[in-house]
Amino acid sequence: MGQVLDFIKEFFPGKGKESKANAEELRVDFRARYHQFKLLLNANNKSLEIMADIERALRLGQPFGMSFVKATCTAISVNVFQMIKNLAELGPGKYKELSKRFNGIQQNIDQLLTERKEVKDERLIIPLSSIDKEMSDLVGSKMANLGEIKNKIEIKVPEGFSITSAAYQKFMEHNDLQSEIERRFQSADLENMERLYTLSAEIQQLIIRSRPPENLHEAIMNACRELEGVGGGEMRLAVRSSAMGEDTAGTSFAGQYRTELNVSSEEIIEAYKEVIASKYSLPAITYRLNRGFRDEDISMGVGCLVMIDAEAGGVIYSRNPVDLRDDSIFINSVWGLPESVVDGSVACDLFVVTKEKPIRVIQKEIKVKEKKSIRRSQDGVSRIDLPRDMGELPSIDEAQACILAELAIKMEEYYTLPQDIEWAIDPDGAIYILQCRPLQQMETAKISLPEDMIRPDKKDVVVRGGITASQGSACGPVYFADTGVDILRFPEGAVLVVQQALPKWASLLSRAAAVVTEQGGFAGHLANVAREFGVPSLFGVKGVRDQLNSGEIITVDAGGLVIYKGKIDSLLVESDMEKNLMQGSPVYDTLKQVSRHIIPLNLLDPDSPDFKPTNCKTFHDITRFVHEKSVHEMFSFGKGHDFSERSSKQLFYKVPMQWWILNLDDGFNEEIEGKHVRLDNIASIPMLAFWNGFVAVPWDGPPAIDGKGFMSVVFRSTQNTALTPGVRSRYADRNYFMISKNYCNLNSRLGYHFSTMEALTSDRVNENYVGFQFKGGAADFDRRLKRTHFIKELLEKYDFRVEVREDNLIARVEHHEKEYMKERLQILGYLTLHTRQLDMIMANDSEVRYYKAKIEKDIRELLGV
Amino acid sequence: MLVDDEVEFADTLAKRMKKRKLITSSVNSGEDALEFLGQNPTDVVILDVKMPGIDGIQTLREIKQQYPLIEVIMLTGHANVEVAIQGMEIGAFDYLMKPMAIDDLVYKIQDAYKKKSIHVEKTKERLQSSSG
Repeated sequence: MGQVLDFIKEFFPGKGKESKANAEELRVDFRARYHQFKLLLNANNKSLEIMADIERALRLGQPFGMSFVKATCTAISVNVFQMIKNLAELGPGKYKELSKRFNGIQQNIDQLLTERKEVKDERLIIPLSSIDKEMSDLVGSKMANLGEIKNKIEIKVPEGFSITSAAYQKFMEHNDLQSEIERRFQSADLENMERLYTLSAEIQQLIIRSRPPENLHEAIMNACRELEGVGGGEMRLAVRSSAMGEDTAGTSFAGQYRTELNVSSEEIIEAYKEVIASKYSLPAITYRLNRGFRDEDISMGVGCLVMIDAEAGGVIYSRNPVDLRDDSIFINSVWGLPESVVDGSVACDLFVVTKEKPIRVIQKEIKVKEKKSIRRSQDGVSRIDLPRDMGELPSIDEAQACILAELAIKMEEYYTLPQDIEWAIDPDGAIYILQCRPLQQMETAKISLPEDMIRPDKKDVVVRGGITASQGSACGPVYFADTGVDILRFPEGAVLVVQQALPKWASLLSRAAAVVTEQGGFAGHLANVAREFGVPSLFGVKGVRDQLNSGEIITVDAGGLVIYKGKIDSLLVESDMEKNLMQGSPVYDTLKQVSRHIIPLNLLDPDSPDFKPTNCKTFHDITRFVHEKSVHEMFSFGKGHDFSERSSKQLFYKVPMQWWILNLDDGFNEEIEGKHVRLDNIASIPMLAFWNGFVAVPWDGPPAIDGKGFMSVVFRSTQNTALTPGVRSRYADRNYFMISKNYCNLNSRLGYHFSTMEALTSDRVNENYVGFQFKGGAADFDRRLKRTHFIKELLEKYDFRVEVREDNLIARVEHHEKEYMKERLQILGYLTLHTRQLDMIMANDSEVRYYKAKIEKDIRELLGV
Repeated sequence: MLVDDEVEFADTLAKRMKKRKLITSSVNSGEDALEFLGQNPTDVVILDVKMPGIDGIQTLREIKQQYPLIEVIMLTGHANVEVAIQGMEIGAFDYLMKPMAIDDLVYKIQDAYKKKSIHVEKTKERLQSSSG
């Protein structure tokens, strides 16, 4: 060819040069278009993948955070945008409407993502004396409740003030922390506990190292001075979290945030930072993740209350937390500050008081309290040993228990909900309420089987005793946890066995089958969270760790207060306690709402007049439309160009076939001038694989049609002009391949059905895919439908994801190695030939069985397995 | 070229890309990026979005104005739909989010580079045929 060109050039020097340049320019044009097209396909695949990710996240209900929602929405927007941009380059000026639709959908999504509660009240500090429960958006629910109790119910609460959520936001803004935190979340693998651990530590450090804005600093110091003025001199504060959404019904956040006790005004800023940093403590992060809370929705309000010199303190439950039907009042109490009840670190006294008048103590368990927490003269508290005789004494008397019970009744009546109340008694005998929140009660595990069927063998019992912290039974291997490192090592589904019921173990509750502790009662934070997550928990089992071996399988019956050796199936039957905590959560709902603008597909039929940009309601519609049009653009550009080496060639396989091939880029081994292309000149990997399957097993011809099948064909031919010779639609007469070395798109009409196949097969495993669509047939709808399902079953057997709508089948497989993709293409090639006209026999079961067996055997031979 | 104010991230990524036979340099601000481009011919820029000084979007705008042929891939830790679309409208090749598998990033760079070379070739052909 070079010689010929040289020859021509000598005769027509000017023209020859120009046409050569033209040919080269066209070649570059083709290459450029093909590259655009390939980028479009990549963006299309990426979009489809993201949609699948979203659907999976919504279906499984496994924890995901806002960073997932945001990253997902951003990624799909970018990819859909790219598709539109690439299509505009392939068909300039023709698809302007798409950008408008894109912007419309985009705005809808954006609105859902940026919705945020605006804090209108700008006050940084509010004294407790002017707080009530309507102010929970500003001061957090804990402080709002305390304000209500102090000011409306007129029960004693220590003096204090709230550092508001507005203050928190000012603090975060001042140091530009929120976006930095979001950045760190985005790049973290949230399923990796170790990574979460580091993330938590880093973010907390970040906050603690930051400084509050000047006016906040000043406002806090002023509030301290005012309190000192009222109290007449130096005072110490308890600095506690009071976050948005904390302590509301159904969600406890129990014990995940920090409390700093006995803080002087010199240290208050540090304490404040510690408390707001604890929004990112490991238990808090995992809790939000598992419950689907949006990080940015949670502002950390902080409450500062004057410390009470507690003689005794504890927790009241206004009802039995583990039995809905029991309305007795449960009081846990210890010597000193109530903290040791809450953090589950020491044994505590229990008083059960009946609500029936006259109220009286109906049950009393006095434990040996080995330690008590007291205020130190400097900052902080310390836990001191109690002499044995003191430790054995009840920390409160029965009269005090009854007064506490009356307070609980008053508060429960006021709030009309069961309450969880923390209290302290000062040296003068005055009772103060320190915290109060709705109590989460649990259904008693119902035992529906007859008693003797459930009772396992006595010999399986390892240990009896303890108290039910959370109902239910569960089974798993024993895991002894001691230090923080065990949080990282803890295996999914194990039984967590610990010495003390400390709040730090809460981050393991989403992974633990059950919890067993030697110390701690049902009033601790860990118990609260266990109930919320429905994890069976048996607390306060003395010496249990000596009776269990690491790794051995046990069954914990928390309600029955027994631990058994091995798996006791009869106890596990009705443990359908597992809750899906993600569903209905704010993060889940955000994703769900956003997905309505992304996933539904409204544009189904490319031949319908409704298949146009103005009808694109979702990103899925846009991708569907753009993909369809891009294939058309590629096709008509190639066909429309009077450029012989890139015009379509007829496939010559033994004889000229009814298959035409359009080379998009590097689909041929060498450029071809004539009108035929031979198979050995085709370089397209996916096309060759498909063709191999297509010709591997000769077709026996149409199956013998039964009378009804034939009539049904005749009937449909009179309706559908595409089926009638002479009145053919665009593609009715030909099968077109568009190919490059790694790409192949096939539009074919074989017999009476229409199919498209598209594949990208290269060494970039992540970009590989095969898509297959199939529609139509000549028989009546019922038989066509049966054939569609017949093909669906076959394809699913070979790992395709298949979706069927009416008689329209869409199948896809992606992300596999080249060789694997080639096998799938062979299967499609084979099926394209051999399922034609199978609709005819779909009413006949034995024929269906025969063909199914034959097809499966053929495919096995084809793949050589 | 890599532009990222997280020095450690930029250095590590540059090292890994060099291992994959991509000639890579890294700078840590938008200002440095523009200065670098003025002295060194560059095919593809990987650009962080959130940086002190002139930010990624502004840097992108400058690059596209001064060197329209250079392809720019945005790579960011802050998923933000609005910024993403803004970047794409200015002419970024893609907007990717950390963490990103190195293979996928290299594919993106190859695709961007191919786009650039085709673009260059096309311009050359046009010039040649109009001059001939």
